Amino acid sequence: MISVPILSVRDLTVSLRSEEGGRNIVSDVSLDLAPREIVGIIGASGSGKSVLSRALVNWIDPPLEIASGSVTYKNENIFTLPPRRMRALRKEIAYVGANPQGALDPTLPVGRQIVEKIQALVPELSRADAERRVIELLAAVRIPSPASRFHEYPSQFSGGMMQRALIVDALATNPAFLVADNVTQPLDVTIAAQVMRLMRELTERFDTAVVFVSSSLPILNDSADQILVLAEGRIVERQVPERLVHSPQHPYTTQLISEIPQIWTDTAPVVPKIPRQGTPLISIKNAFRTYHVRKRGTFASYSEVRAVRDVSFDVFPGENFGIVGESGCGKSTLMRLLSRLEMPDSGSVICGGQNISRLWRADLLKFRKDFQLVLQDPFNSLPPRTPIGEIIGGPLRVHGVRSADQRRKQVLAVMEEVGLASSLFDELPLGLSAGQRQRVNVARALVLDPKVLIMDETLSALDQTEQFKLLKLFSDLQTKHGLTYIFISHDMAMVRRVCNRIAVMYLGEVVEIADNTKLFFDPGHPYTKALLSAIPTLETRRYDPEECLLDGEPPSPIDLPPGCGFASRCPKAFGRCRVETPLLMPDGPDGEAACFLVPSYPPQPVTAAAA
Amino acid sequence: MALLSFLARRISQGVVIIFLVTLLIFTLLRVVPGDPVRLMAGGMAPEALIEEIAKEMGLRDPILVQFGRYMTGVVQGDFGQSFTRPASGASTGGTGFGDSSRGDRADVLTLIGDTLPMTLQLAALAVIFALIITFLIGTPAGLAPNRWPDRLAFYVSSIFVSLPNFWLGIVLALLFSVKLGWLPAIGYKGFAYTILPAIVLAIELSPVLIRNLSGSLSAVMQSPFISFGRVRGLGRRRIVYGHALRNASVPLLNLLGIQISGLLGGVLVVEFIFDYPGLGLLTINAVLQRDFPLIQGIAIITSAIFVLINIVVDLIASTIDPRLEY
Repeated sequence: MISVPILSVRDLTVSLRSEEGGRNIVSDVSLDLAPREIVGIIGASGSGKSVLSRALVNWIDPPLEIASGSVTYKNENIFTLPPRRMRALRKEIAYVGANPQGALDPTLPVGRQIVEKIQALVPELSRADAERRVIELLAAVRIPSPASRFHEYPSQFSGGMMQRALIVDALATNPAFLVADNVTQPLDVTIAAQVMRLMRELTERFDTAVVFVSSSLPILNDSADQILVLAEGRIVERQVPERLVHSPQHPYTTQLISEIPQIWTDTAPVVPKIPRQGTPLISIKNAFRTYHVRKRGTFASYSEVRAVRDVSFDVFPGENFGIVGESGCGKSTLMRLLSRLEMPDSGSVICGGQNISRLWRADLLKFRKDFQLVLQDPFNSLPPRTPIGEIIGGPLRVHGVRSADQRRKQVLAVMEEVGLASSLFDELPLGLSAGQRQRVNVARALVLDPKVLIMDETLSALDQTEQFKLLKLFSDLQTKHGLTYIFISHDMAMVRRVCNRIAVMYLGEVVEIADNTKLFFDPGHPYTKALLSAIPTLETRRYDPEECLLDGEPPSPIDLPPGCGFASRCPKAFGRCRVETPLLMPDGPDGEAACFLVPSYPPQPVTAAAA
Repeated sequence: MALLSFLARRISQGVVIIFLVTLLIFTLLRVVPGDPVRLMAGGMAPEALIEEIAKEMGLRDPILVQFGRYMTGVVQGDFGQSFTRPASGASTGGTGFGDSSRGDRADVLTLIGDTLPMTLQLAALAVIFALIITFLIGTPAGLAPNRWPDRLAFYVSSIFVSLPNFWLGIVLALLFSVKLGWLPAIGYKGFAYTILPAIVLAIELSPVLIRNLSGSLSAVMQSPFISFGRVRGLGRRRIVYGHALRNASVPLLNLLGIQISGLLGGVLVVEFIFDYPGLGLLTINAVLQRDFPLIQGIAIITSAIFVLINIVVDLIASTIDPRLEY
């Protein structure tokens, strides 16, 4: 097929200027984008893919600069265009980024800002026409009640909705091509899958060519016509997706493919079932937690946000227990209950035989020593102006190790264990990578020699390679110290790799608890199936997204509908689901699920049916 | 509905604040040295007469009893009468104490009512001038951090903040009234008399506002939606005036609410220097003459104004930025 490319990039080099001289972030990249083509660019974090995608839309600000090369659109190099003409071209060149929440002015309604963009670029369109077009497009990206959403502010949109609004913003002027930089990265898996499906549809409908940049090969594999592999700023391989996956040419691509987590294949990791015996280490019983939030614009009326509802489970010594669910499902509140940052409104959390709500002072300190927490954000969880040795030694001081020499000895020992060089002892955490920072976080928790580590999204900020290394470290530590882990995560693939038993949460409730193999091969709850169908993977899926994937988003935990919390999105919901709340029932020997469709679920009582 | 409940909540809070301010002023006035009766009756009046007048005026009752009596009046809209000012004219001071003039002393509310509009006019003009100066100097500074407009703003605000207002008032009066004859300075015979004092007040207000605006504007200019706005095809002018200044004005507005409260101190001095017949001048004289009812009345009215200003500021801020709860 011979067609004139819309966009051609030749020998593009972008460098970072610093006092020591320049460093190339993107080197000698050349590519062509044919009309209606979807080109995928894949690279790990730090491969320069974001800089490349910004360069394609001429959005390079100091200290970055275009060192050489050209991006040609309509026979002109866009880097040399005067600002006025470049601005006019923005009508045809669109970009969607990875940070939907920050992309629009927080003080103005979303719809109005999109109209503002249309009017800036297509002045001949009247305001009323522009508004009509925006509302049409909002409906096209399946934003519910678009006409009223038009007048809402960015803070009133969830991440997934905002990302869809930005797709509307990008497509509002009928661009010739669109650069999508990691658009699904901040989204939950089921929402990310919806957004991807939508982008494919829309680009077909609007005849838009797309450069799709991502760090996830499975996501690109589904949609791209051609995939370029970017490593250290250079394109090392270009192939059509199937060929790339089956016969990668470059060692980097091979490595990238090998790092994609295996879920259902024969080579997938098998996490053994751990015999559950003795007394549970942690036992949470019928815990509820409700937050009271003052209603906007009222005098004294409060909304109840029911974050955790009737959660019960046991964790046994030596287990890796996973808690999964999408944002807003209550898993972080659960973490706060388990670590006694908060206490349940009713129900109890029993750790090592003690109800932790009743612990005070010395007993509480003893509890904290045994149950340590490792947080999600590697950047904000470390004080920037405290040396690493002091950060890790802090807990020792709190727990009464007075001697500085003793502390230093223990800190150095634990630093070696987690793989931090002892030369870092007096350094500040400023120059550390995300992976190293998480090691500091783990060391800080480990230095007290705890029994349980609660990992709240600890690996979410890391790329696959780093995740692998840390998981290896966790398993070594577990063998050595007999640790019990609780992994709180939204990443099903990570949980598949390490957890013996997994609890799935939805709207504050545990909807399923099952052993690893049972959960991934024979889940009992439709929500678990939806989560599984949305995992980005190259494998043939056990659960077809067409069948299982959800529309819409979870309802707000403020106005809970009666009956099953999942009924509003469940493809299999029937009458009973909307009146009665299902309880966890055994689903085979290895799991429990809260769904009326579980075979062991007792039939609806006659009286309730009559009523 | 939301607005009404907001107003109800804030006004009830305001009433509590005003009550506490009144109680504080009332108590302090009676605790600190300085007997109003001695000033009214004059230095030569015999001690017995002073005690008699004081008793008659209720000034020897326990403070809480006096306060209760006073607040009963205030709630009914009666702020009492001035100790020293006759209804007809100027302050009598302490020299000419006579029973005849005590019958028709001026109502506190009338005194305040005559002077308050003058001060409001002065304050409003001062705030307008201050905002003009702030936006003219602060906007370019915020758009070019660490470059010359920013440094200029820094120098200008450093100079402004170091100028004592009494000195500046005198110098400006000398320059524009005496030397150049462009503007009148002393007293009040028309709107032109407000301009010079307003300029002095504006110069006092603006340094903090300039720093605040340039600081928050340069912070807003770093936000992702600003640089993304360019990629979306918005023009520079639209981005700066339509989005950046809009966001940067919220902290400015909150600061302005506090600054206006601080304006009173400046008003005292500036009105005194320019002999401007406003609330400030009235306050100074009331304090010098230990005119308790007048001081209390002024305290109540000014604290009510501060409460109102802050309610208005919060209302405007939440219309600009809907994330702010009111």
